[in-house]
Amino acid sequence: MIGILKGMATTMKHALDGKTFTVEYPDVAPEVSPRFRGVHKFSQERCIWCRQCENVCPNDTIQIVQDDQRNGEQYNLHIGQCIYCRLCEEVCPVDAILLTQNFEFTADTKDEFVYNKEQLKNVPWYKGIDPLNSRNPDRNAWVGEGDGEIDYQ
Amino acid sequence: MTGAAPLQQGMLPDTIAKLLGLGAFGVAGDVVAALLGAFLVANFLLINTAFAGPWAKRKITAAFTDRIAVNRIGPFGLFVIVADAVRLLSKELVIPEGVDRPAWDLGPILIPFSALLGFAVIPMGSGLQLADPETGLAFAFAASSIASLGLIMMGYASNNKYSLLGGLRAVASNLAYEIPLVVTGISVVLFTGTLQMSAIVEAQQATFVSVAGVAIPQWFAFVNPFAFVLFVLANVAEVGRNPFDIPEAPTEIVAGYQTEYSSVYFVLIYLGEFIHIFLGGAIAATLFLGGPAGPGPAALGIVWFTAKIWAFFLLTQWLRSAVPRLRVDQFIEIGWKGMLVLSFANLVLTAVIVGVLA
Amino acid sequence: MSLEEPEPDVPATVEEQSPDEIAEMLSDHVIGREEHLNAPGYVIRPDAVQDVLSTLKTEAGYDHLSCVTAQEYEDRYESIYHLKKFDDPTQEVSVVVPADRENPVSESADPVFRTADWHEREAYDLVGIEYDDHPDLRRILLPETWQGHPLAADYDQDRPQVVPLRENANPLQEDQRSEQDTDTMFLNIGPHHPATHGVLHLKTTLDGEQVADVESDIGYLHRCEEQICQNGTYRHQIMPYPDRWDYISAGLLNEWAYARAAEDMADIDVPEYAQVIRTMGAELCRIAAHMLAVGTFALDVYGDFTAIFMYAIRDREKAQNILEDLTGQRLMFNYFRLGGVVWDLPEPREEFFEKTRDFLEDLPEALEEYHDLISGNEILQMRTIDTGVLPPEVAKSYGATGPVARGSGIDYDLRRDDPYGYYDELDWDVVTEDGCDNYSRLLVRLREVEESAKIIEQCIDLLEDWPEEDRTIQANVPRTLKPDDDAEIYSAVEGAKGELGIYMRSDGTDKPARFKIRSPCFSNLQTLPEMAEGEYVPDLIAALGSLDIVLGEVDR
Repeated sequence: MIGILKGMATTMKHALDGKTFTVEYPDVAPEVSPRFRGVHKFSQERCIWCRQCENVCPNDTIQIVQDDQRNGEQYNLHIGQCIYCRLCEEVCPVDAILLTQNFEFTADTKDEFVYNKEQLKNVPWYKGIDPLNSRNPDRNAWVGEGDGEIDYQ
Repeated sequence: MTGAAPLQQGMLPDTIAKLLGLGAFGVAGDVVAALLGAFLVANFLLINTAFAGPWAKRKITAAFTDRIAVNRIGPFGLFVIVADAVRLLSKELVIPEGVDRPAWDLGPILIPFSALLGFAVIPMGSGLQLADPETGLAFAFAASSIASLGLIMMGYASNNKYSLLGGLRAVASNLAYEIPLVVTGISVVLFTGTLQMSAIVEAQQATFVSVAGVAIPQWFAFVNPFAFVLFVLANVAEVGRNPFDIPEAPTEIVAGYQTEYSSVYFVLIYLGEFIHIFLGGAIAATLFLGGPAGPGPAALGIVWFTAKIWAFFLLTQWLRSAVPRLRVDQFIEIGWKGMLVLSFANLVLTAVIVGVLA
Repeated sequence: MSLEEPEPDVPATVEEQSPDEIAEMLSDHVIGREEHLNAPGYVIRPDAVQDVLSTLKTEAGYDHLSCVTAQEYEDRYESIYHLKKFDDPTQEVSVVVPADRENPVSESADPVFRTADWHEREAYDLVGIEYDDHPDLRRILLPETWQGHPLAADYDQDRPQVVPLRENANPLQEDQRSEQDTDTMFLNIGPHHPATHGVLHLKTTLDGEQVADVESDIGYLHRCEEQICQNGTYRHQIMPYPDRWDYISAGLLNEWAYARAAEDMADIDVPEYAQVIRTMGAELCRIAAHMLAVGTFALDVYGDFTAIFMYAIRDREKAQNILEDLTGQRLMFNYFRLGGVVWDLPEPREEFFEKTRDFLEDLPEALEEYHDLISGNEILQMRTIDTGVLPPEVAKSYGATGPVARGSGIDYDLRRDDPYGYYDELDWDVVTEDGCDNYSRLLVRLREVEESAKIIEQCIDLLEDWPEEDRTIQANVPRTLKPDDDAEIYSAVEGAKGELGIYMRSDGTDKPARFKIRSPCFSNLQTLPEMAEGEYVPDLIAALGSLDIVLGEVDR
């Protein structure tokens, strides 16, 4: 009996203290970590079309089309298929692709989730923050085969 | 019918008949007045239920679980009541293959009906009482237990095994807890010597003890707290709330007898359950808490009465947040081996006290 | 045949047999020897499986059949029985059973180890090896009408699998009474049921309200995780997927299972600093996973959307916030890399330490509340004590591990018994309870949260004082990993639900030739009939809740 009363007292205490942990989304946009991985942002200006992101992608989310001079023509990314592992950002030597913190994306059909390079470019920053600075990428360890600095252009 | 008691200003149909001058029409006038009275009382309860079901229950649960709950539509999210009504009524009424009609259709109608019927004899204060027969208490118990019939019908007619289990559990639990409930109720009757509801309320008007100038009325909850606790527990079981919500048990038998119901029928069942909780609270209030009695003028009776039935509602929600559900066999065991024995002990004890005092 | 309590004359330290002694013990059943990276392998005759396993079990003390891996070679099929000792899991042997290419049949291990039942069914289902003397050799993950065995070499991936409804039993059939016994009622619990924690289907036979028979039907969430991993490169492409096996925030623990196996296989050393971060992250995951386990278990017993569930979620949310700061995600972390972790602690470090410390400080109070609400509640005790009883011998025979085994008094925790990461440097205890019932399993989880908090606190202290120049988070790992041809390894870590093992065989390329996941939930779920039969339906639900299964891991 004591245990039951204790339990009832506990819940009543919570009812009366008025504290809640509800996140009032979308009225209040939640804080997300700078490391949070949301929709990709792609910069054609930076991209050197090395296709490393396409190769490393575990489930063929990225599709790159090049012409016969190996110039980039298309960069398509299916954000509905993506598993948000961030390997593409990690492998990119020039920071041309980046996962923003933006987690708000909707579409009516699955096909609309196939973003081309223009759409990827226009993905907004979440709360206007560029998370790259706080991500502190450790590329030396990633590249692994050579020591020393990597030239990011 | 007498209107002599301070809280009883005559039966509601009589008042209506007087106000509208229906007395001149003989029996037809009485019928119209009674129907109007019943309409008023039923609406009062339905409004209470509308607050309790879609809104208060969510808000209360949210408070216990550190959340906010409905707050989008209207002030404090109150308009969710309208939104929910529209949503639920506009859903498709799915009639599964192989259900046993018309039993399947009657069940959901029977539940709110039986609960509302019970309110016919409850003195709600401020002159709100439809009838006051000599056998008032017996009538209230009888009316409220019609609901079990509805549950069994629903469980059996749904052609669903979960519903069947739920229906069977409902029978078992009603059998096991109806008896202690009634027996504990009778211990009050021993004090009052009558089953008439108004007389039971009257009997609780006298001062029990006076502590530091504050007169504590002779409510039977104060006279016999043990019986009160027993009655409230049996009542929670009777209306099927946690920890005794065995017939529903969503995690085990997927809401039992309600499994196959949707749309309007679902609303009816839901309404019925809430009115049932209120009826349980009303009987408890009448028997043990002086009915509509409270400080202030007698016209405030309905306010006090409403507060008391809501207090019972709050208790069910509180239990829901903090007390685990019993297993079906343990539940029945507590009913037959615990509650029944205790309630008879209480009855004998009360009889002795009444005999000695009288 | 069944496991007895350790006999008095067995010494406290577990006697270890040399590979040759074991070979001698098995005498003429052995037709060859192999060397796996984790254990010696004995190739035995396919008709001597029961003899060999029972010899190893009774005479050599290998009482834990951890996993059964089946695979197909060009010239043969092969089943590998990975055996361990509950008393010392570092002692392992692999029993390799070849089967003929044309007629792949070998003897079932079911009479020796009950756990072999499901493992062999899975092997039959996915690879196509048949097991003689198996009590019930049916498909387990795929529908019974499936054509072909997906992990077999000649399987046609493009072949459409047409499964007409008439091939399945008609659920709307008029009369569902079983023919022999008209007193019982057949009841489908799941796949859509509030208490099956996902898409589990329990075929239950009820006698009144009591469970006469229960059989789990799994596979609704089968996503070919093993094959996905076989198609990924060791170096990066496999790591995102372990998060998705046990997706209830136990991601880092799962990642560690793969990381451990791959690092052992490719001989990669992990910097100590990274190990500490791994340990801390993994224990945060364990707390989050146990919180959810406790919350949903309470939900099953309470039966309504009640306070304790929300409180558990609230506290889990805090752990997840910390994990989000650390890894960037709340569930699918992808934080480990072979040879370390991807990120150092977030800057500013002080803030991170403070946040974590705050969480740890609030934890005892939160746990106190849990004890008030659940473990101290008399009704909950009535409901859970002595229900869902799983005796230790039965648990061992079914290969139950994790909190389920520890709730049955089996003192088995890979973090201590087969140390990895930084665990052996830290001060913590393995929690066991002897009740063998639902209540013990609940208590084990609640107490393990405390132990995990202890570990995290020590890790935080270590990380705070770690010299700045020594903060190497990743070893230098080549960009393309190609382990030696035909290297085989089976290694396990203590996941949130128990022993999570990975078997990998390399074929000299940068992708594994066979990737097998030993899921703790898979083995634990197998014990459900033992726990539930004869009990009431509510106890079946409670027992299922106390097993804390995640269907993503059961079905993979």
